[in-house]
Amino acid sequence: MDNQNPDNRGEFFDQFLDDYYAECDEHLVSIRRALVTLEDEIDTGTVDRTLLDNLFRSFHTLKGISGMVGLSSAEQLAHHLESYLRELREGTVLLSDSGFQALVSGVSLLESIINARRNDQPIPSIDETVERLQSVSSESVPSKIETTSTPETSDSNATRWLVEFTPTAELAERGVNVNSVRARLQELGQLIQAKPVVKGAGEIAFEFIVATNADKSAVADLEADGLTFKIAPVESAPRAKDSQPVATIAPASVVRVDLDRIDELMRIIGELVISRTRLEDQLTELKRTTPPALWRSLQETNLGMGRQLRDLRESVMRVRMVQIGEIFERMTFVVRDLARESGKKIIVQHSGGETEIDKFLVERMMDPLMHLVRNAVSHGLETVAEREAQGKRSEGLLSLSATTAGEMIAIKIADDGRGIDRKNVLNRARARGLSHGNTDLDDAALLDLIATPGLSTRDEADRESGRGVGMDVVKKATEELGGRIALATKLGEGTTFTIELPLTLAIAEALIVSVDGQRFAVPQSSVREVLEVESASTKVLENNEIISYRGKVLPLLRLARVFEMGYQRGEKFHVLVIGEDANEVGLAVDRIIGQREIVVRAIKDPLAQSKGIAGATELGDQRVVLILDVSALRQLAATSSH
Amino acid sequence: MPDESKTNNILVVDDSPTMRRMVITSLGSLRKVKSTQAGSGLEAIERLAIEPVDLMVLDLNMPDMHGMEVIDFMRKHQAYRNIPIVVLTTKGEESSRTQALAAGANRYLTKPFDPRQLADVVSSLLNAS
Repeated sequence: MDNQNPDNRGEFFDQFLDDYYAECDEHLVSIRRALVTLEDEIDTGTVDRTLLDNLFRSFHTLKGISGMVGLSSAEQLAHHLESYLRELREGTVLLSDSGFQALVSGVSLLESIINARRNDQPIPSIDETVERLQSVSSESVPSKIETTSTPETSDSNATRWLVEFTPTAELAERGVNVNSVRARLQELGQLIQAKPVVKGAGEIAFEFIVATNADKSAVADLEADGLTFKIAPVESAPRAKDSQPVATIAPASVVRVDLDRIDELMRIIGELVISRTRLEDQLTELKRTTPPALWRSLQETNLGMGRQLRDLRESVMRVRMVQIGEIFERMTFVVRDLARESGKKIIVQHSGGETEIDKFLVERMMDPLMHLVRNAVSHGLETVAEREAQGKRSEGLLSLSATTAGEMIAIKIADDGRGIDRKNVLNRARARGLSHGNTDLDDAALLDLIATPGLSTRDEADRESGRGVGMDVVKKATEELGGRIALATKLGEGTTFTIELPLTLAIAEALIVSVDGQRFAVPQSSVREVLEVESASTKVLENNEIISYRGKVLPLLRLARVFEMGYQRGEKFHVLVIGEDANEVGLAVDRIIGQREIVVRAIKDPLAQSKGIAGATELGDQRVVLILDVSALRQLAATSSH
Repeated sequence: MPDESKTNNILVVDDSPTMRRMVITSLGSLRKVKSTQAGSGLEAIERLAIEPVDLMVLDLNMPDMHGMEVIDFMRKHQAYRNIPIVVLTTKGEESSRTQALAAGANRYLTKPFDPRQLADVVSSLLNAS
């Protein structure tokens, strides 16, 4: 037999590593979700059977695929986790607190092993954790354990329908298949049974029993797809005891795509955007020499293309989006672990978990966000005794939330702990020679100071505070992604970090401005308002130019001065208002040219990088336009005014 | 004699998409073979209803319909009684080998599997049928 499989199995399976990591991630997400629910069932003597089945299957699959890619410590560890789950499922062991903790640490270790392999780092040892799992697997046999099935429909009025579906190739082509039918039935009510049968002529059909309050009109479109409905005879309805609740399965219409392929799509769309801008410029040139009717129809086509391009871009972007809730769940998991170790009581609250964010951003922000959460738990929130002594409720509150505003997403990590002690930070800064003259730190200055590299010492960078990722890294990561970070803290009341990130990278709306004949792009998301200002109305105060704005004083930052260029002293100029409240700055430019979609390209060459410039783009005439780094400019303004 | 002109359709059933890809790639070296896939026992049965299947590579531990039930179902019904079944399951439950073979599986292999061995087993079953 012709067989070209390489003898080297390792090499053969290496080609599936990306699939492997992706599938591991999916299972780890659902495992963490299940564990959070399982925690409530510790020592209750009853465990949700479906939950155990799903957990068991996840470990089983992780074991199988880890074995295939030769990651034997993950395979073994998953095996021991699976074995413990089997004991729980068979009722020979009761879910105890120590058992649950062994599960949690097993899952964390499993994740570390997979990540170590992914990053080519040494694989951690599993011996200790395996021993823990083995010892909880042989805990004393309790007298009585029940595993509960999913609760029966509380509504006893529900009718049981016996639904029959005969699959055919034609139906399958239209997307009507056993999975889609089952998903639609699950929307109607509780699915009690799903099994294949062979009919008289030898064809296969599926019999579903669904308990529902829906009337027959609700199933009309299902009947149109060839399904038959009749009231299920009572005796055929399985008794509660053996009604294996049917697990929800992922809809078959979901595909997994490598992020690189989507990036490639985005790159092509980026080029299309540039080509269209070029087309638009060329059309403008044609305007004078083209008959108006022809020009109008050309222009209509061009604008239509612009809209379609925007739709295309948005559709591809949506593919890249993931829900932030997944990250919140991972954080909750870490918090529970840390809280247990440190003996603190912590309640984690989520909101806005359904907010979507670019997968790429999430991956880059994962460690920094995790660092903030760890900080909040280990340094921010107090122990039960400390809290009670201050008259606070004994459980610390950690709230994770996400909201979107325009093209930005804001992620808030807030605790009601002790807050950051400014005096302490200042003393530490002085002791490290990072002297800071100002003793009256506002929140922004405090953030700058704690984000100074080298402020926290090695002995403080313990396990909880995140193994080497300091505040400086958090700030840098945020800013590199075009985001900004803000701090609000009050001694004794708590600390809130707000991280604002663009929803997606790559393409952004921008204002094109000119200074001394040079064009710059300013991301629209960071511009609050555009003003036209008479040159005569500016004043000079302590060496700073200011204008009055909404009854307040707005300091001006002349872009020309920042980049050491000249500027036209016309009668009027334009000001872009950036920053918020006390940090508002007016960016003075000669002229606003217009609003464009720009394709953002980071400047990677360190020699070409410069403060105040975030990247570069082209506008279709193949000339490069620099993109301003608004948050860096705001800081420049702040330091120059001191 | 195997029918030289016929392309054999192999149905790969496993709830792990990564595992399905591994199996399909392993079988890619065989001549006159195409693969289709199913992610659950119910989906596997549906595939049988829709198109002729010449051989099934079947995982055991799957959601909604265990592989063992798929074997039982196929062996009970005339139309599917003779389709060779290769069980490919994660090693660990030794009792399932005897059970699966007794229920009518033709071969029982464990994961991690050797791609070459899987291809050989599949090819010999196809040639024998």
